[in-house]
Amino acid sequence: MSGIYEADGGLGAKLVANMVQITDDRISSDALSNAHRNHLMLANGQSLAALRGQSIGQGDSCIVVAAGPSIKRRNPIAMIKDAGYKGAIITTESAIAYCLKSGVVPDLVVTLDPHATRIVRWFGDPSLNEEALAQDDYYRRQDMDEAFANELEFNQEILNLVNEHGKDMKIALATSASEAVVSRVLETGMEIYWWNPMLDDPNLKGSKTREMFDLNSMPCVNAGGNVGASCWMMADAVLEKKYIGLTGMDFSYYEDTPPRNTQYYHEIVDLVGEENLDSVFMRVQNPHLASWFYTDPAYMWYRNALLEMVAGSDSRTTNCTEGGIVFGDGIEFVPLMDFLHRHI
Amino acid sequence: MNDFLKGNFKTQNKVTEMPEEKTDLEGRFEREALKRLGGSVAFVSKNKVAWDLKEDS
Repeated sequence: MSGIYEADGGLGAKLVANMVQITDDRISSDALSNAHRNHLMLANGQSLAALRGQSIGQGDSCIVVAAGPSIKRRNPIAMIKDAGYKGAIITTESAIAYCLKSGVVPDLVVTLDPHATRIVRWFGDPSLNEEALAQDDYYRRQDMDEAFANELEFNQEILNLVNEHGKDMKIALATSASEAVVSRVLETGMEIYWWNPMLDDPNLKGSKTREMFDLNSMPCVNAGGNVGASCWMMADAVLEKKYIGLTGMDFSYYEDTPPRNTQYYHEIVDLVGEENLDSVFMRVQNPHLASWFYTDPAYMWYRNALLEMVAGSDSRTTNCTEGGIVFGDGIEFVPLMDFLHRHI
Repeated sequence: MNDFLKGNFKTQNKVTEMPEEKTDLEGRFEREALKRLGGSVAFVSKNKVAWDLKEDS
């Protein structure tokens, strides 16, 4: 449709370079408006500062559980559970269901995306119905927990699980979260710790981050572009863990994943057309696994951001995802069992 | 549309094609698609946690 076709991920690489602006265009307005609305809800929780240095989980290690496609193939939570790991488990909201269904209650859940309707699905959406499902195939077509494909049934299951265990979980709840997410979190009795996601450099004139801080005085966290990186930041800078294991942190898709089952499929088709997907998707070989994966601009940007965050940290990060493209300077890449043997 | 109108009348001035409207439409479409490609939140290089921005100002 357009004249921006480039072969072999060339356009994707250019989009990665512009992802800060693209993301700002996408979320800043919603994030700010949610922060203003959530200002009225702050009394229902504490500042993230209250979580700083708290003794959560035994020892100086923790494991981040994200919901990348590897969790279906590697099932890390089963290994964590079987090993009797006692360190802290920090999970993205997208992996709550995976953890709870496996009988593991995470110590800390993190959420930040301001999307009005999608994110609450991870907590169980009390208002989900056939009509809402007909309008959005986002979850239905992605390479994730297959139970999510039976959406209404799965939604009821996660509603029940989070209702049962909500009171046992802490949540680092971004002030950018949607009204639906905040209502659901309150309903489940989770212990809330509020934080502002940095939307820009707070030292810049007219900073939106500073506007949020001036509004609510909550700590401002560099969230690294996504909730998985936010979990890492919670482990490193808030819980101050020395050893951080990552699972489900793929930031990519397995080679045999149909493009239609990737997160940004519709957006990429709208941009370049079905016949030009190769211009946006980028193939990456993971040298630790001698396997190829492919990724899209947002995930490549997440990967680059996480590598930079890790490089600036004193903690030691070990990627135990056993898949994906998060490797590079400062990141040890080993099987999850190796990490567990060291820290149990 | 051009073919349909051809020969119905003669214009006094020379008519030139105006491709800008289409280009602008495509541009808007691309910008909207691009916007939806973005991440969940910003990444602010060289920052971790600002516990209290009052202290930093």
